[in-house]
Amino acid sequence: MAFEQVDKTLVTHDLVQDLKWDADLRAQFEADQTSVLDCYALKPEERTAIETGDFRKLYEMGLHPYLGGQLARLIYGNAAGPDATRAVNRLIASLTGEERPDDRTTT
Amino acid sequence: MADIVLSVAASHAPGLAGLYSGAPEDTKAEVDKMYGTMGAEITAADLDVLILVGNDHLANSRVLEYPNFLVGMAAEHTGPYEWFKPWLNCRDYTLEGRPEVAEALISGMARRGVQFFGRRENLCYDDNLSIPTVLCDLDTNDVPVVPVLMNCNVPPIPDQRQCYAVGEALGDIIRNDLPNGMRVGLFGSGGLSHEPGGKRYFFIDQEFDHWFMDMLEEGDHDKLLNEATPERMEESGAGGTAELFAWFVVLGAIGNQPCSRLGYTAYDNFKCGVGAVRWQMGS
Repeated sequence: MAFEQVDKTLVTHDLVQDLKWDADLRAQFEADQTSVLDCYALKPEERTAIETGDFRKLYEMGLHPYLGGQLARLIYGNAAGPDATRAVNRLIASLTGEERPDDRTTT
Repeated sequence: MADIVLSVAASHAPGLAGLYSGAPEDTKAEVDKMYGTMGAEITAADLDVLILVGNDHLANSRVLEYPNFLVGMAAEHTGPYEWFKPWLNCRDYTLEGRPEVAEALISGMARRGVQFFGRRENLCYDDNLSIPTVLCDLDTNDVPVVPVLMNCNVPPIPDQRQCYAVGEALGDIIRNDLPNGMRVGLFGSGGLSHEPGGKRYFFIDQEFDHWFMDMLEEGDHDKLLNEATPERMEESGAGGTAELFAWFVVLGAIGNQPCSRLGYTAYDNFKCGVGAVRWQMGS
């Protein structure tokens, strides 16, 4: 995805950055994703894409890929090793439409 | 007149700490050699301050209000930032800051027509500062640091020529605004090829990485400025490879000095080409 496709006004950017900066919000997101998403003025298709892990749609809407990678970690796991590898593979699978095993560590 | 007595540049990636133990032995040896050499040379240089220029990974400012350059003005810099700890899996650290140098950079840039922002509170540091710190032992060797975080991610980003020009202003500030006899080191932190969050997350463009480091060793800055464009960076890794513009700030500050590479390795799971260079100062 090219830089030029980034929509700086996309509300998901605020969501991801807030989750990075606020441990309490992150804990709430892990326990009850809906209650956190309710606090943000997300477009209906933007919210659905987050809820379904549809990163391709989010990127089409202008999500910054770096924050896309971090959103994947927030959803699928953040720790170095298997957690983060699963997050990366599910992100790539969503973007490419190709299935990938969760533990793959190559292109 | 202060002196730039040391200049290096190197990649950072969370995996260099968090995934190091699972890397192949030859990769670990190359990483140890690169960062160990830099760490030893930084310590031996007896610096009064190390100015570390590296990209901010959207960790300190909202996308809607993103500064191109943000200086860490705190008296102490601590890290890694809490959310990044599981990625990095490295030790916590505290670095001595140099607020008076940070202030001199901000005001000196303003006098030269360059917008630098600053923050007196501790910034959020991920691999940009944490990897150089723990792999080069900046904390345990008491190296005072002023971090300059830059925008390599939020369009429009400052390109290679703008970063080189900022570097020229930085060099002018060091030579003319900082105290006589101050020993200054420069560290460019970022790159090489990688595409965080993209379809090619695991891809490392080794051909690009060697092409870029070859050009540094050739020392032809005109060629670098003509060919290492944002478009070329994007081809080799969207949203990641352009971190190399931090190296252009160092290049602008020091001018044409002999450059040699300290090493290079490409391990898929690091998700980033990893290399380091050193410039021979005072030649």
